[in-house]
Amino acid sequence: MKGIRVVLADDHTLVRRGLSSLLAADGSISVVGEAGDGRELARKVKSLQPDIALVDISMPLLNGLDAMLKIQRGSPGTRVIILSMFSDEAYIAQAWDHGAWGYVLKDEAPEQLIKAIHAVASGEKCFPVDPMPAVIHDPLSPREREVLQLIAEGKKNSEIADVMMRSLHTVRNHRARLMMKLGAHSAAELVRAAEKLGVVRPASPKGQK
Amino acid sequence: MSRVRLAIADDHALVRASLERLFLGYPQVDVVGTVCSGSRAIALAEKLKPDVFLLDIVMPGLDGLQAIPRIQEASPSTRVLIISMHDEPEYLQEAISRGASGLISKAASPEDLFRAIEAAARGEVMHVSTLLTKREREVLTLIGQGKTGEEIALHLSISQKTVEHYRQQLMGKLQIHTEAGLVAHARQLAITAS
Repeated sequence: MKGIRVVLADDHTLVRRGLSSLLAADGSISVVGEAGDGRELARKVKSLQPDIALVDISMPLLNGLDAMLKIQRGSPGTRVIILSMFSDEAYIAQAWDHGAWGYVLKDEAPEQLIKAIHAVASGEKCFPVDPMPAVIHDPLSPREREVLQLIAEGKKNSEIADVMMRSLHTVRNHRARLMMKLGAHSAAELVRAAEKLGVVRPASPKGQK
Repeated sequence: MSRVRLAIADDHALVRASLERLFLGYPQVDVVGTVCSGSRAIALAEKLKPDVFLLDIVMPGLDGLQAIPRIQEASPSTRVLIISMHDEPEYLQEAISRGASGLISKAASPEDLFRAIEAAARGEVMHVSTLLTKREREVLTLIGQGKTGEEIALHLSISQKTVEHYRQQLMGKLQIHTEAGLVAHARQLAITAS
């Protein structure tokens, strides 16, 4: 049987390396590449054209959901399975809307993930619930979402320009448009908007013991 | 050094299995058990008395930080290593003050993890300075003493612009967004250290 070629993306290196090894133990799955952030993922998928991309939903630089557009453009045949700690229906619905083929919780045993990989490879979608289409008011373009994530990660305009390979002028324009569209008057307000739109996950609560 | 007997606690099955898998090709560590919660970790510690317990910081019910003293009660020879999604000095401080040997981020490499486990098994305790560079710690200490940017620059023989750069680095690493917060944190660290 032809092996299922998988690219694996998760910024938690320890989890990613262990998971890669676990998947490789399944003789019919071949992990052909790994990535630690959404941009590296898009690059690897484009060059490797895998059957499946296993993508953690929250990654730095470009989160899993927003990476999907780049993946679809770079490798239309690649099917994305989202990996997540969150079982909220809103996230599941978002994944569905973005064109994911599967959504697997990190809560589930490895056997479930392997089953999901096989299912998706053979043309079946694999979601924990039947997702209703998400009604999330998102006024932003994909590019604006990308900039918003980088702003929410505390990057300066010059750093954003570097990561996105755009001019400083363009980044400043995006930032201004974001503030206008989101009614934000400060970076802090942009960060809150970013969390609301699922562009970044809420930061770990400081008071959590 | 004899094999380190390791136990793992994490509430996500996939994460648990992935972490355990890391040690498949690493003969120096023997995974003796895995559990999904703080309370089960205490029970496992009592039963198996592992050398090191790798404990997720956030778990439902009794989480990692709360479980540390109870694990040590159940098995005084067990060293606890906290595993966290973030590698922030304040978590390390908190973990150590509760009795952990150290903290490691999920974004660390497997080699970092092996080293941390072996250090914990030897009885070593991680120092918060390992998470900040030496220079960052120096600047932070001086900030805690209430020194101005100009005074810090003079004291360390660097430019004020460089001091400002370190200030930004510290705020980023420590996830503190105001000057006042940074001063307060620095003073708290000084109090904890003494």
